[in-house]
Amino acid sequence: MYAFKTLVNHRGRFLITSLGIALCIILMLFLLAIFRGVADGCMRYINESDADLWILQKHTSNIMRGTSLLFMNQGKIIKEIPGVRLVSPVFFFSSSVKMTGATATVRLTGYDISTGRGGPPELFKGKALENDNQIILDRSFAFKYNLHLGDEVTINEDILTVTGFSSGTNMGVYQYAFVTLKKAQSLIGLPGIVSFFQVRTEKGSDILKISEIIKSSVNGVTAIDRKTFLENNQHEMESGFLPMLYVIAIIGAIVLTAILSLILSVYIMEQRIDYTIIKALGAPRGFIPGIVLRQALILAFSGMVIAVVLFFPLLKIVEILTPEVVTESSAWQIIGVFAGLLVISLISSFFPILKLRHIYPLELFK
Amino acid sequence: MEKTNPIIKLKDVTKIYQRSGGETIALHNASFEAFASELVLLLGPSGSGKTTMLTIMAGLQRPTSGDVFLFGRQFYEYSSKNLQQIRASKMGFIFQTFCLLDSISVIDNVMLSLKFAGIPKDLARQKAIEFLDRLEIKHLMNVLPVTLSQGEKQRVAVARALVTGAELIIADEPTGSLATQQGMQIVDFLNRSCKTESRCVIIASHDERISKYADRVMHLRDGILGNGNL
Repeated sequence: MYAFKTLVNHRGRFLITSLGIALCIILMLFLLAIFRGVADGCMRYINESDADLWILQKHTSNIMRGTSLLFMNQGKIIKEIPGVRLVSPVFFFSSSVKMTGATATVRLTGYDISTGRGGPPELFKGKALENDNQIILDRSFAFKYNLHLGDEVTINEDILTVTGFSSGTNMGVYQYAFVTLKKAQSLIGLPGIVSFFQVRTEKGSDILKISEIIKSSVNGVTAIDRKTFLENNQHEMESGFLPMLYVIAIIGAIVLTAILSLILSVYIMEQRIDYTIIKALGAPRGFIPGIVLRQALILAFSGMVIAVVLFFPLLKIVEILTPEVVTESSAWQIIGVFAGLLVISLISSFFPILKLRHIYPLELFK
Repeated sequence: MEKTNPIIKLKDVTKIYQRSGGETIALHNASFEAFASELVLLLGPSGSGKTTMLTIMAGLQRPTSGDVFLFGRQFYEYSSKNLQQIRASKMGFIFQTFCLLDSISVIDNVMLSLKFAGIPKDLARQKAIEFLDRLEIKHLMNVLPVTLSQGEKQRVAVARALVTGAELIIADEPTGSLATQQGMQIVDFLNRSCKTESRCVIIASHDERISKYADRVMHLRDGILGNGNL
């Protein structure tokens, strides 16, 4: 009660402090939302594929940052291996897309439209590719460049009509775009070349055995099972993104700890006489530290409430202003940040509580 | 007055403060006893050593030499936790500047003492109201101390000091910030409480008008304690 009333007595400062804490929390929630959004954009293409095996150029372990070039006829050899049901070629590379007044880079992905495998994980709007003169763009890419269905974009010298918008294809740094396999090969001038094959096996077949057969019977390829391939790409994505996220998160946590610690110290200095009186009245040893701790938790909680109230409208604004920034937030993220905040509150209270040792009831008699 | 064991006893107590440029003898060889149902006035001018003596009696600082007995035991025998418990349940303090917590209400100020004394909340509230009523400030129980007059503040401070049933009340210049009539009312109340509830009340003051309420007047000058005028 005393802890709360002391804070509320200085309403202006209480609100400003809570707002400062809220901004730090919002920063953390943004980081998490961006991380989840980018992770989803990077991984969904792989996650939603039903391929049992991914066939890539030897020594390549992922498609996030790895380079793989294979020959189309290698796919034919793989198709002949017992237990292999489907072999779907995919060719991707970075390419510039020219639009009215702008040029941007996409991860152009060519796939076999007869099977649809290797295409967009989800078609948000429009329809699937029907011919070589069409393109499917990522929805946030399209939003950013104000592209609509039926609009035309140019890649190299070729004019392509936008036929659909995909979702789950925004990797943050750049976005996926989908064309037919034949168009992708012709745009780069390498007919007969693909990046990888997605392999579906017969039901009940031994995937590990098939993988070994592929590696031994097809020169220069590696076959990676679904689980390992997911892990490889996840690791590659996180190794590029997580360190940056960690650094910003740590800076945010330090700022938050400093704000809380400073404000609690100020409160202690201001309430020094009160604490002296409380000590003189015979407060048990943990009573005053308990006040400081409760004040830290009250500030943390009020900051969290303000942050949650502000976060979702701010997220909407960010999505409108910068549609290429993909975010994904969940209740678990908020719970996680709140748990972290509680830990920070405990840490922040530590140094101010140390100051209490130098408060003596004797001071009241001076 | 029947005198049994003293509530507080000082024997040849000396307190020397080490300061840059030398040392100051704040209390010199002071011996003193105070008993239940006794109001003792420590009378002396500023700087005479009254506050030093009070704080030693309250166990808030150690003497340089001599013995201090608090509730029959040597001061040194108490652990810091024991002293905290004694301050919470057996001692009450009254200060010239009242020392109330301004951010909580009058009743919360009084209940805080009871909380530290381990009294359950419901009973604490009942006792706090009872004491505020006795001091004729029950109607102010829900207001913040900042809105009170000086006299009302000191009544709250008295209620806070007495409400736990403290056996030893230590008052440092309790009338110093009050008008004469208000001050004497406070001392009168302390005196009545001392007699009816067997409390030992020690008042340090330079106000000689308190003498008429005191069972004993001890004079302090330059750290030397004596009976009667020095």
